[in-house]
Amino acid sequence: MYGCTGRCLRVNLSEGKHSIEEIDPELLDKFLGGRGLGVKVYSDEVDPQTDPLGPENKLIFVSGPLVGTGAVTGASCNVVTKSALSGTIVCAKMRGHFGAELKFAGFDMIIIEGKAEFPVILSILDDKINIQPALECWGRTTSETEEVFKKNLTDKWADRETYLVSIGPAGEKLVPLANIVNDRLLSVGGAGIGAVMGSKNLKAIAVKGSHSLSVADGDRFVRVVTTLINKLNSAPLTSQSMSAWGSAFLVGLCNQKGVLPQKNFQAAAFTESKDIGTEALANAFALRSRGCFACPIACIKKTDVNHPLFKGKGMAPTYWAIGALGLNCGIRDMTTIGMANMICAEMGLDPIAAGGTVATAMELMEKGITSSDTLKLEFRFGQGEDLLQALTLIATKKGHAKRIGKGGEALAGEYGAPGSFMGVKGLPMAPFDPRSIQGMGLHFATCNYGPHHLYAYTFIDELLNVHEELDPWSTEGKPELVKRYQDMGAVIDSLGLCNWPLMGLKFNNFVPMVNSCLGTDYRAEDLLKIGERIWNQEKLFNMRAGFDHTHDTLPQRFVKEPIPGGPAEGQISKVDEMLPGYYDLRGWSKKGEPLPETLDALGL
Amino acid sequence: MPRIKIDHSKCTGCRHCEIACSLNHAGVANPRRARIRVFREGNVFFPVIAGPFVDAACTSKVDIRIGDQVYDMCLLCRASCPQKPFFIEAETGFPLKCDFCGIPPNPSCVHWCNSGALELVDD
Repeated sequence: MYGCTGRCLRVNLSEGKHSIEEIDPELLDKFLGGRGLGVKVYSDEVDPQTDPLGPENKLIFVSGPLVGTGAVTGASCNVVTKSALSGTIVCAKMRGHFGAELKFAGFDMIIIEGKAEFPVILSILDDKINIQPALECWGRTTSETEEVFKKNLTDKWADRETYLVSIGPAGEKLVPLANIVNDRLLSVGGAGIGAVMGSKNLKAIAVKGSHSLSVADGDRFVRVVTTLINKLNSAPLTSQSMSAWGSAFLVGLCNQKGVLPQKNFQAAAFTESKDIGTEALANAFALRSRGCFACPIACIKKTDVNHPLFKGKGMAPTYWAIGALGLNCGIRDMTTIGMANMICAEMGLDPIAAGGTVATAMELMEKGITSSDTLKLEFRFGQGEDLLQALTLIATKKGHAKRIGKGGEALAGEYGAPGSFMGVKGLPMAPFDPRSIQGMGLHFATCNYGPHHLYAYTFIDELLNVHEELDPWSTEGKPELVKRYQDMGAVIDSLGLCNWPLMGLKFNNFVPMVNSCLGTDYRAEDLLKIGERIWNQEKLFNMRAGFDHTHDTLPQRFVKEPIPGGPAEGQISKVDEMLPGYYDLRGWSKKGEPLPETLDALGL
Repeated sequence: MPRIKIDHSKCTGCRHCEIACSLNHAGVANPRRARIRVFREGNVFFPVIAGPFVDAACTSKVDIRIGDQVYDMCLLCRASCPQKPFFIEAETGFPLKCDFCGIPPNPSCVHWCNSGALELVDD
């Protein structure tokens, strides 16, 4: 088998046992690996009605077949489970070096079952699989956990090659907004998975190994990868903007187009973009590029945050952090946003979900629906200290912040103002205003994982006009665009690649790399078909978990209230107009359920 | 004579060079079989190219402090030395050494390094 190791590690924490299994090659054919494989195995093994935080729920870490082989941006490992925040299936994408190291340790997939009696760390170091107590690490922040674990390694050099994923205090306390953090402060995109890991009493997983991965046609593979690196190097977005600023370069652009939400999506215009654009970022932080495994773009920006708590190490905020933690809470000060981002990474909170929840609380308070006396916390738009305090308290589940930690939907529901929660399926929205970018709006409404940008990068065509020039305000051709990007995203995640190269490469460019690595002869259409199969598989799980077409909708604000000002003034989301066309394209009924013939054609 | 010039300040730590090397020399992807490794000290990544090991007294086992950062010079030493697990072929235990990918030099790590940290220079 090329690319894959073909082995899966199953760990039962209740019994403290583990077993090594072979992965069915037929499943790899049908679902590629990575996200597809994880979703298939998860939906076969877990009851959709299961309690996300119960011991019956499972947590799957799965690396795609291209991860670690040297394929361009082949780094990502996917975490599949049922989200503690939304209750849908969730497949969070993990960047960094963990996914590749997992492959070198000899496994494609780790399935975690049951619940440990006391906090443990799973370590897979040079074929020695060990479930060890996490006494020293429990209660520590994510970077401290890594430090403490590495210090205790007996082999003097092992810490140089060991990579960790861990949860912070938020995950330990089962806060639904928690996520997993890997490889020194890289958040794994997806809320609610940290709490699942915490519910299993699993603090961290460490991997290191020296297995080799074979490639089908080495000479051709090396040539194709070299071509792709050169192509990425000649595209302006991937070679200049992303390399210099990370995704934060989108801030200025989104602001110009009126896509950047403010104050819990109450406005989408901001006059002083110089306060928050790339210049401000460069002024606030000393940026230093850092790449995920085998990535020529290196969009992660390391920086120094001047705060005694963080000892001069940290990550510069990405677009998502600037949008969700910053402007959506009315905050413009870069240092505060950077601090908030660091608190999220250290405590193991999801920046988008935490930011959205705080913004909801701020709106409730601004409108007088609740007061600081009831919440015992101050929430004011634009007040950095309120945000920082709230994040710290949510993560540690102290006092009255417990209520807010349940998420924006629960909070807004409690005070009888569900309209103040800006999210879909219980998950706060990524910082794109769906009123001025219709395709993204349709994706947010229909995405199996809640409104997360990661699963369809339609803004590449709608805002950046890389492959096609599309009008973000028009609905024309948007259902097709969304379906194509969703399927493409499923394929890219399943292979273990990153979505960002799509800013410099066409999807077709990946195909020779896939074929020369795996020894297959896929065409682009074949891969997209597999993507569609994965998307439908996830949809089927969600349907059994109780999600139907009534959940494929956007908050009323986007459908009823036009954007009050700025470049996209007067725009409104036409999601209801686009939905029937989208269901049609997918071969789903009017109620958003896959028709039997669609499933037959996909072999489900 | 052609040499590989390393500018560690440009290195992003993506380790693509390790895979390029092992694919070229071992035919498989495995950083442990590569003749170039990227090590992290603090926030800085150091690409290190495997060099010869000689049986002379070692002068590298020192820590150098620059500012707040302590650099372990033993880690950054390029000898395929029996004291360290790096640059030793995993299965056979043979020491590894960079051969510039043949004559004339055509290093595959330089081709795949997009950050500019590795450069082939002739002087």
